Amino acid sequence: MRTVLYARDLTVKLGGKVIIENVNLDIKEGEIVAIVGPNGGGKTTLVKSCLGLVNVSKGYVEILGLQPHKAIKTGKVGYLPQKSEIPHNFPFSAIDIVMFGLVNVDIPEKEKLKRAKQYIHYVGMGGFEKYPYSKLSGGQQQRISIARVLVSEPEIVFFDEPSTGVDVVAQESFYDFLKKIRDEKGITVIMVSHDVGVVGKFVDKVAGLNRFLHYYGSPKDFFQKHVLQKLYGSDIELIIHSPECVACEHFHADFKGKS
Amino acid sequence: MGLLDLPFIQNAIIGGILIAILLSILSLFIYLKNWSFINVGISHATFGGLAVGFYLGISPTLLGMLFAVIIGVLIGYISRKGNIHEDTSIGVLFSLSMAFGVIVITLSPNYNTDLFTFLFGNILTISRKDIIMLSVFTLVSIIFIYFSFRKIMFCCYNEEVAYVSGINTTFYYYSLIVIIAIATVLSVKLVGVILSSAMMIIPAAFANQFYWHYKGILAFSVFFSIAMVLVGIYISFILDLPSGATIVFIYSAMFVAVVALKKLLKKG
Repeated sequence: MRTVLYARDLTVKLGGKVIIENVNLDIKEGEIVAIVGPNGGGKTTLVKSCLGLVNVSKGYVEILGLQPHKAIKTGKVGYLPQKSEIPHNFPFSAIDIVMFGLVNVDIPEKEKLKRAKQYIHYVGMGGFEKYPYSKLSGGQQQRISIARVLVSEPEIVFFDEPSTGVDVVAQESFYDFLKKIRDEKGITVIMVSHDVGVVGKFVDKVAGLNRFLHYYGSPKDFFQKHVLQKLYGSDIELIIHSPECVACEHFHADFKGKS
Repeated sequence: MGLLDLPFIQNAIIGGILIAILLSILSLFIYLKNWSFINVGISHATFGGLAVGFYLGISPTLLGMLFAVIIGVLIGYISRKGNIHEDTSIGVLFSLSMAFGVIVITLSPNYNTDLFTFLFGNILTISRKDIIMLSVFTLVSIIFIYFSFRKIMFCCYNEEVAYVSGINTTFYYYSLIVIIAIATVLSVKLVGVILSSAMMIIPAAFANQFYWHYKGILAFSVFFSIAMVLVGIYISFILDLPSGATIVFIYSAMFVAVVALKKLLKKG
């Protein structure tokens, strides 16, 4: 399988402080990779360095066989940054946001409009085309932003905390949706996530980052105690919530007792 | 002879309309990018260049443009790099340029009249040459904005995302700064350096009280600005008031009144 992201000894310093150091990555076409780790561990910086948004101090990175600044010019790279607060008077409609994704795509305007509407439907937001973006819920805004990323039909996409603002119930279907994108479009998905629970269910590979890349491999082996200890720097206990979960049962019993 | 037959009134009206169109279009981008203070910084910094031009007997407009563009690019650069806090750098740069301008202009004869003109504008000084310059610059700016509109808007929405989509964000960032800087200098005769920023900040903010979508904001800003400039020129002429101050006073008063009224209606 073709390598779509290749990093060697990637080191980034910001304001004199080393944020990530000697990171090596080899991501194959069509994989879903989660970058996980503690806050401040350099997850967003890693993504930004792959996209050329921050300068690399040492080492190098290639996307689709090109340097980042060249790769982004091909229109085959998509990026969904961490969700930021949208001002209440943000003057764009949902379709305006999706149309931004087609700014550098050389097709007639009518075709752009048609494609933007198609992708709004694809993310399950049909009928919201002319709705003010700022009035949509957090999850709906994320779906529109994903349509903006996908509309240019990229080969590789970077999602930084894509489930932020999406309620817990909707999160699972959201990750199912990411899988659907990969399966139907053959897109490589690289996402930053603070939610390690996601890792086992939905991704092909995990990159455990805390300044150094402590782990890179299948999610199966990621949950070993020594890996988590190395990554988070202390003893952590992972609670898997399932129908048989005893802790959850106690919690629900307590909750019912109080209400 | 009617009022409209007077050549300086004709120049004032044509010049005023051109400035209203140019500044109100730019106000959309300033509003979206939250550049109000950058804009105030550039407009105040213009004063240093105008003063040097006046003192040396070289076209104050040209030197003002040069100064505004240099300071504008410098402010933009500092804001982007983020090494020094944006507000601090703008405050220091425009104070430096204004203080320098005041010193230079104090050294030249007849400084009182000209200082006042630079600071607050004098619409009666708009010449045919100014109108030609304004027309050419407004046309060039509109053509540039028309063909780059969605790219500029994308940069306003999120510069990092626009960059990853292959847009030359640095080019559009500095192009906007340069256009704002030159537009500021060209509007000095109408409203002066102190008040020109108001004409680039208020229109979009005012229009946003009535329209949520940028197309509505843009159209209403242009219409509102032209109307306010014409009303301002008329009132200033009839009551013998300074044109720039009158225009900006009407602009600001309308804005305050509408925002207050909307709040009251919401409470009611």
